[in-house]
Amino acid sequence: MSELLREPREIMRDEMAMRRHLYAALEDGPKTVPEIAQAMGHPSHEVMYWLMASRRYGLVKESRQPNEDDYFTYALVEKE
Amino acid sequence: MDYDALVVGGGTAGMESALSLGDMGYSVLLVEKEASIGGTMILLSKVFPTLDCASCIATPKMAATFHHPKVKTLTSAEVTGIDKKPDGTFDVHINKKATFVDPDRCTGCSSCEDVCTVAISDQFNFDLIARRAVYIPYSQAVPKKAVIERAGTSPCTFACPVGIKAHGYVSLVRSGLYEEAMDLILEDTAIPGSLGRACYAPCEDDCTRCELESAVPLRLLKRFAADYYYEKYPEPKQGPPDQLRDEKVAVVGSGPAGLSAAYDLAKQGYRVTIFEADEEPGGMLRYAIPSYRLPNEVVDRDIKNVTALGVEIRTGERVRELAALEGYNAVFVACGAARDRTMGVEGEDLDGVFSSLDFLRRANGGDPPDFTGRKVLVVGGGNVAIDSARVARRLGAARVTIQYRRSREEMPAFDWEIEGAEAEGIEFEYLEVPVRFEGVDGRLARVESIDMQLGEPDESGRRRPIPIEGSEKMYDVEVSITAIGLVSYTADWRDGGGIFGDAKMSADPDTLQTALPRVFAGGDVVTGPSSITHAIGQGRRAAHYVDRYLRGVELSPQSFNGKLPAVAKDEVLTRQKAFRYMNGDRTAERLPQERIGDFEEVELPLTEEEARASAARCLDCGGCSECHQCLSACPAKAIDFSMRDEHLTVSAGSVVISTGFELFQPLKKPQYGYGRFPNVITAMQMDRLLSPTRPYNTVLRPSDGKIPENIAYVLCAGSRDCRVGNELCSRVCCMYTVKQAQLIMGALPLADVTIYYIDVRAFGKGFEEFYQQSAAMGVYFVKGKVAGVDEGPNGNLIVRYENIAGDGEVVEAEHDLVVLSVGMLPNQDALGLFTHEQLKHDSHHYVHEIDEDLSPARTSVDGVFAAGSTAAVMDIPDTILHSSAAAALAGAHVERVRT
Ligand SMILES: Cc1cc2nc3c(=O)[nH]c(=O)nc-3n(C[C@H](O)[C@H](O)[C@H](O)COP(=O)(O)OP(=O)(O)OC[C@H]3O[C@@H](n4cnc5c(N)ncnc54)[C@H](O)[C@@H]3O)c2cc1C
Ligand code: SF4
Ligand code: SF4
Repeated sequence: MSELLREPREIMRDEMAMRRHLYAALEDGPKTVPEIAQAMGHPSHEVMYWLMASRRYGLVKESRQPNEDDYFTYALVEKE
Repeated sequence: MDYDALVVGGGTAGMESALSLGDMGYSVLLVEKEASIGGTMILLSKVFPTLDCASCIATPKMAATFHHPKVKTLTSAEVTGIDKKPDGTFDVHINKKATFVDPDRCTGCSSCEDVCTVAISDQFNFDLIARRAVYIPYSQAVPKKAVIERAGTSPCTFACPVGIKAHGYVSLVRSGLYEEAMDLILEDTAIPGSLGRACYAPCEDDCTRCELESAVPLRLLKRFAADYYYEKYPEPKQGPPDQLRDEKVAVVGSGPAGLSAAYDLAKQGYRVTIFEADEEPGGMLRYAIPSYRLPNEVVDRDIKNVTALGVEIRTGERVRELAALEGYNAVFVACGAARDRTMGVEGEDLDGVFSSLDFLRRANGGDPPDFTGRKVLVVGGGNVAIDSARVARRLGAARVTIQYRRSREEMPAFDWEIEGAEAEGIEFEYLEVPVRFEGVDGRLARVESIDMQLGEPDESGRRRPIPIEGSEKMYDVEVSITAIGLVSYTADWRDGGGIFGDAKMSADPDTLQTALPRVFAGGDVVTGPSSITHAIGQGRRAAHYVDRYLRGVELSPQSFNGKLPAVAKDEVLTRQKAFRYMNGDRTAERLPQERIGDFEEVELPLTEEEARASAARCLDCGGCSECHQCLSACPAKAIDFSMRDEHLTVSAGSVVISTGFELFQPLKKPQYGYGRFPNVITAMQMDRLLSPTRPYNTVLRPSDGKIPENIAYVLCAGSRDCRVGNELCSRVCCMYTVKQAQLIMGALPLADVTIYYIDVRAFGKGFEEFYQQSAAMGVYFVKGKVAGVDEGPNGNLIVRYENIAGDGEVVEAEHDLVVLSVGMLPNQDALGLFTHEQLKHDSHHYVHEIDEDLSPARTSVDGVFAAGSTAAVMDIPDTILHSSAAAALAGAHVERVRT
């Protein structure tokens, strides 16, 4: 049996430290979660926590439609 | 009677009971532990079998309850005990938790959430997404008010004698908000640059992370923030306050205690003058602490924070009588402990024998003695001895030895200091003490020392050193520095009516007021030698009470330091089952051979990367970090950190228990892979993903954000299963699974849904049709008991099941998302609430209904009724019915006890 994943609570705690890496990954345009994960060098399921929280608080937004591989892309929300 | 009925728990059952009772004209107190009423129903997507939107039907009920004229709702409150009285009524004890947000001011605008620096798992989204330490439960929350999660003061913040919000600046640095971190630190101290270098950091000793690997490097993080800020702002941002007060305050001494008192008082508008005997301000910061640990430029910049507020520092003015300060409304004496204890041995006055403070003062003050090629013996075992030895080394001494009368274990100096000295080639002689300094032509030439042995512990707890007779020996040395302790000296004050003793001053330990009401005293002159951070703490305490004194407010000792109790480390460590080891800390120093050649700083600052990585090791012990971002962001000024829990006792005629259920914890079935494979989720999580207030933009795989195409449900996960201690059928799982399957078909038309079941229980009104309908829509029903789930490529999952409909063979099927239809378990919270009578439970630990057939909801305690899933697993329609029954019985009980 494989190892337990890092606990969600711990991954979520990292969000504030990870944000800038996340935003840096989105600097050059919208990306899917696996693309962000690759750019950040972190597992994509961990990126999901940081990305979705950023989305929740209005810092990133998703594309209107998913791509042909069934992934949405996410982009930084322009600050006013 | 305060209320006719108490209702405990504000979910479906609680709201229904409260509404029914209220409509019947009874007064009701509804107590809910979360920050919103609504329970589970408001979190669901839709409800079976009608597929009504759960939010649409729950929200009006929540609003109706909250605004009902006969129902008073307390959220964020817990019933802690219920006493049954002989007359059939109840006394109810309630803890109304402090929310740190004034509900009357909060408009629910969410500005606080946007700036909060602490991310915590959102309990209303079941580990799918983070919320903030300050949060509004969800968009339809009733009441829609923010609350702050605070389990207590974080241990680091609690440990700081200054009151600096250590956790707060850590969370700000973690978020990249360096200037804000420094602004927060400046709320509590004027001298962060000095603290960031020379503080002994009691916060780090208490940091919970020590229990895992090592403390979050709080001191270095403070230095990081201070360095960043001082580079950006060579001059302070802040100036004197807009409103100045008339009162004048004199502060004697410009060490950490004096500077801090002046800083706090000046911020409040007092006109403060500091009198300092030395040529430059700073006290020990400037004259004792060597510049390789604390450069004078940093001290200078720190002090600018004080003078920028309008504080005048008059240097070179030694005050020796209070009469000289007649024109001041209050005086704070903080003249420190600035003398060395003498050894009282022959030859101590020879040329070449220095007292440590005189020596350090010369070295720091630009008049260093030349030790080139000299042999130096330092006497003492504390931090001052180590500092003296390391300075002597830098002044060119050929050999520096520290002689200490006890062994290394008893040495009061910190290990890292001893190690630092050793690395610089300083030698240590333990269990020895000088008995005589011998000179030639008035200059030190030799030291006679004697060996010691350790006896019983003395009053300090350390073993007493006892000389070994006949063990005397001679050392050839040219310089000796005695550093056997510091004392304060106040014997030369000419007045004061006894408040100045010969050595220490006496002042009230809480208020720091002396016997002369307008004179306060604190810092080392009162406590004896302590530390920078303790001295600052004393200065702040003095400022607090001087202000009260000047405003004519009583000096009640409890008024200073309103910290919440520290959160217990065990509590923090049990929030997670496992922690990742994070080797983020380091103390990089310049190489010894390089650093002994100059007085440049030994310790290297954290790089930005290091600062953020080490701040990210913080465990957010207290929840909210007290970073104060919400304080500034809230337009309604609703944030109030002075709030405290309130303990209430009310009387009630009857009690309805509606505390609901708990969900089965799927980690108990490790074969299903929950917690190991991101794409194994629970049905509660799926209900969230399908609801209008969903945590993701749509139903996505948690592993990679892909839209799932082939979803499997595992029914009876944790129900009808003796091995996990729950042999009951959870009754709702079959139908909510069918509901979710239908919703998925609507939301993701291309997705396949397979439900693995043992049997489908569709017993209620409209359920069978609902089930048949989903099969007709294309949901696959596979009669198969799932034995295990494994992860395949791309995060897909291999489900192994026993094909019950076939020959019982084990079959494997691949899916890209697996949903565990977890069951319900009893919430046993209410069972321990009653003090005089035991509220009985049934064999499954649900609240026992003593007459289920004819009088449902009636419990073993007369006047107490169970409503909803606290009594048995039930769905929403049954919960509503059951709650109405409970309300009717509760009303009848009220009538009985009234007469
Ligand atoms: C995944 C899932 C999907 C479901 N889908 C459906 C559906 O579609 N249709 C349907 O009919 N049913 C559904 N159910 C069942 C439904 O959720 C329950 O029937 C219903 O919520 C029971 O209501 P309740 O008031 O008893 O409990 P809850 O709604 O859970 O309310 C209990 C309340 O008590 C509070 N509380 C607990 N302890 C204390 C305490 N000590 N002091 C104060 N307050 C306390 C809780 O915070 C909560 O607000 C589903 C259940 C699950 C798990
Ligand atoms: S003080 Fe900081 S951590 Fe605490 S709730 Fe406010 S913003 Fe969040
Ligand atoms: S883990 Fe963080 S909050 Fe807890 S004591 Fe350490 S620095 Fe403070």
